[in-house]
Amino acid sequence: MDSPRLHWMRGRQEEGPGVPRTLEWIGCDDAGEAIARVVRIRGPVSTGWRQYWAVALDEEARVVELRPTPPEGAGWLAYIGGQVVGRAALPLQAVRTAEAALGAD
Amino acid sequence: MAGTPLEKIRNIGITAHIDAGKTTTTERILYYTGMSHRIGEVHEGNTTTDYMEQERERGITITSAAVTCSWKNYQINIIDTPGHIDFNIEVNRSLRVLDGAIFIIEGVAGVQPQSETNWRLADRYNVPRIVFINKLDRTGADFFRAVDSLKEKLGIVPLSLQLPIGIEDKFVGVVDLVEMKAIVWEGGELGAKYHDEPIPAELEEQAREYRQNLLDTALSVDDAAMEEYFENGDVSVETLKRCIKAGTISGAFRPVLCGTAFKNKGVQPLLDAVLDYLPSPVDVPGIKVAAEEGEDEHADRRIIKADPNAPFAGLAFKIINDKYGTLTFVRVYAGTLKSGDTVLNTTKGHRERIGRMFQMHADKRQEIKEVSAGDIAAFVGLKDTGTGDTLASPEDPVILERMAFPVPVIDISVEPKTKESIEKMSIGLQKLAGEDPSLRLRTDQETGQTILSGMGELHLEIIIDRLKREYNVEANIGAPQVAYRETITRPYTETYTHKKQTGGAGQFAEVKIVFEPLERNQGVQFENAVVGGAVPREYIPAVEKGIKTQSETGVLAGFPTVDFKATLVDGKYHDVDSSALAFEIASKAAFRDGMKKASPIILEPVMDVEVTTPQDHVGDVVGDLNRRRGMIQSQESTGSTVIVRAHVPLKEMFGYISDLRSMTKGRASFTMQFHHYDPLPRNLADEIMAKSA
Ligand SMILES: Nc1nc2c(ncn2[C@@H]2O[C@H](COP(=O)(O)OP(=O)(O)O)[C@@H](O)[C@H]2O)c(=O)[nH]1
Repeated sequence: MDSPRLHWMRGRQEEGPGVPRTLEWIGCDDAGEAIARVVRIRGPVSTGWRQYWAVALDEEARVVELRPTPPEGAGWLAYIGGQVVGRAALPLQAVRTAEAALGAD
Repeated sequence: MAGTPLEKIRNIGITAHIDAGKTTTTERILYYTGMSHRIGEVHEGNTTTDYMEQERERGITITSAAVTCSWKNYQINIIDTPGHIDFNIEVNRSLRVLDGAIFIIEGVAGVQPQSETNWRLADRYNVPRIVFINKLDRTGADFFRAVDSLKEKLGIVPLSLQLPIGIEDKFVGVVDLVEMKAIVWEGGELGAKYHDEPIPAELEEQAREYRQNLLDTALSVDDAAMEEYFENGDVSVETLKRCIKAGTISGAFRPVLCGTAFKNKGVQPLLDAVLDYLPSPVDVPGIKVAAEEGEDEHADRRIIKADPNAPFAGLAFKIINDKYGTLTFVRVYAGTLKSGDTVLNTTKGHRERIGRMFQMHADKRQEIKEVSAGDIAAFVGLKDTGTGDTLASPEDPVILERMAFPVPVIDISVEPKTKESIEKMSIGLQKLAGEDPSLRLRTDQETGQTILSGMGELHLEIIIDRLKREYNVEANIGAPQVAYRETITRPYTETYTHKKQTGGAGQFAEVKIVFEPLERNQGVQFENAVVGGAVPREYIPAVEKGIKTQSETGVLAGFPTVDFKATLVDGKYHDVDSSALAFEIASKAAFRDGMKKASPIILEPVMDVEVTTPQDHVGDVVGDLNRRRGMIQSQESTGSTVIVRAHVPLKEMFGYISDLRSMTKGRASFTMQFHHYDPLPRNLADEIMAKSA
């Protein structure tokens, strides 16, 4: 098993009833600097006047629309800096995607 | 095993495509769970004949509605789930009383069309499931292809907890991906020993890959587990099992195990998985009380939780008449019941005294003195409790299931092959109708034929088969017919005088009856509005009986007449010549004459049909339903499948199952139940009347 090179911690949580679900995991380096994020893709979301097929949180935790709509089965985005470096169905896979992208730099 | 703590009870069903190995797997489960008590005997060297004896015994018991067995100090109640859609109501009810299920598919064919149907039914009740891929010993078996078929045909997320070691005749055991070890059986015979060993070198890499997938999927349901993983690069077995259980209950993924029941490999780990991953009665939300009359089925309602100290509440889900008498199987949802207690049958509104209670084991019936929330027991000697009835404490008289009057929409005529068995047949049919609320019996007034009405052709076929097996009566049956009804559309007042002078005593009765149409589902109502004794009181019941009996045979085509009211408003009698019989004859005749003048019509049953079809066949399915005089109510898509709901006259649904199969290459399934009666279009009514004339 590749041991993670970043320290991952819970980021934003989904609000609402029930057990809060983590919407993002933040990967920090040894100095505690946030380097990478994996973010849950949500949707479709209705705002009352428009429907968004897929949204995610940006770095400031604002909801942004994803375009083009990610393919079916993509549940998470991997970000480094502000840049999307990959998608994955599951959060641990997205974490590996982010770490692999870091290693590739 | 009364007194088993709630967390250690599992109420499960086993469902499978026919021939996938449900019977064999159940037998093996009963064998291995029974063995854990009797290991001593096995060491003493049981002969093969002993096994055979036991097998036979078991073969009988597993047809029981619920068998109790124990594994590692847990109590497992296995509830039989009938596998056919004709039994909608029964299947639905048994799915309601179980908390989880083992879903068996075959290692060679993978998911087959009927497995799809069963899967969707279980979906509807959110039944947590683990999948067992059986028959890995067979030529052509392929674990990975079977897992893919789960993904493709059912659109689910399969989560492999095991990998096979070897395949076909070389299949010897499984890699346990949770504990990362191999489990190997030392032979293929019943009771073969097995042991743990390190994962074989040639499977190590594959095991690592599948374990990573297991972690990726399982941990995603639990943030604390993710953190544990980030901290340590792995998680404890305990954490992993907790995650798998949570995801199994929520349906986020479906654990997959494998083996060969026939060659006795993989059954014990399957039992372990039942304990580890399927919910106990406290892990599920509890049961909703039934909707009030007319209330929306989906509205929020009170939920009864599995609490042994709450007032008692249970649901009778199956009635079996065997050589010991009538057994009523009850799932207890709340409270604790002791034999000798009195409860309320809240569905029917009377009291029941609880006599002896049993739990059925593979080889014996065990009498128990009390039964608590979460458990299942068979009660002996209940007076009048049918399937679907709620038994509850008078302190909190809840109703768990509204008595659905399943409308029997298919008629067949039945007659015994030999005259001598007329009596036996009638006793048998009455007993069977007593067990089964969706079965009705009547006698056609004109032909004298016995007419049996049920929910579908298969339902009636099985009744006829049981008549033969259990009551030893062979019967000839007529072709299945739609159970039409008749009614009237305007009021009419009929006066009829019955007068006969034959030698000695004469017969005299006169009745004046108002016939009026009622709304749908009002049945037959009778009122006596006679004043001043124009018809003496003692004859009134005879008038009512005459109407009710005659209404069984309608005036247009002989179908039962419903949804009307008959009011006796006047009449005449004779001191000497009047009798109950004379009044019965007069009211029958008044019915026959009056109904004809009250603009009678024929009603046909219209079904609520729900077709589940892959997206690519929706067009064909909808077009075909339209051709069958169907009215599409809704279309709802869930992933790659679409659920089409429509109201379709039953008449047009004969043979639908095979048409649907050929239209969709066997990939669509449907369920239907009675919805309402509609007037039969004129041209069709004429046809039917011509036939009956
Ligand atoms: N080779 C092989 N045959 C099996 C296995 N399990 C069941 N069978 C056979 O498949 C047939 C159907 O099995 P059964 O348990 O009756 O299936 P059911 O219709 O689902 O109850 C029988 O002939 C069994 O002996 C298995 O694991 N391997």
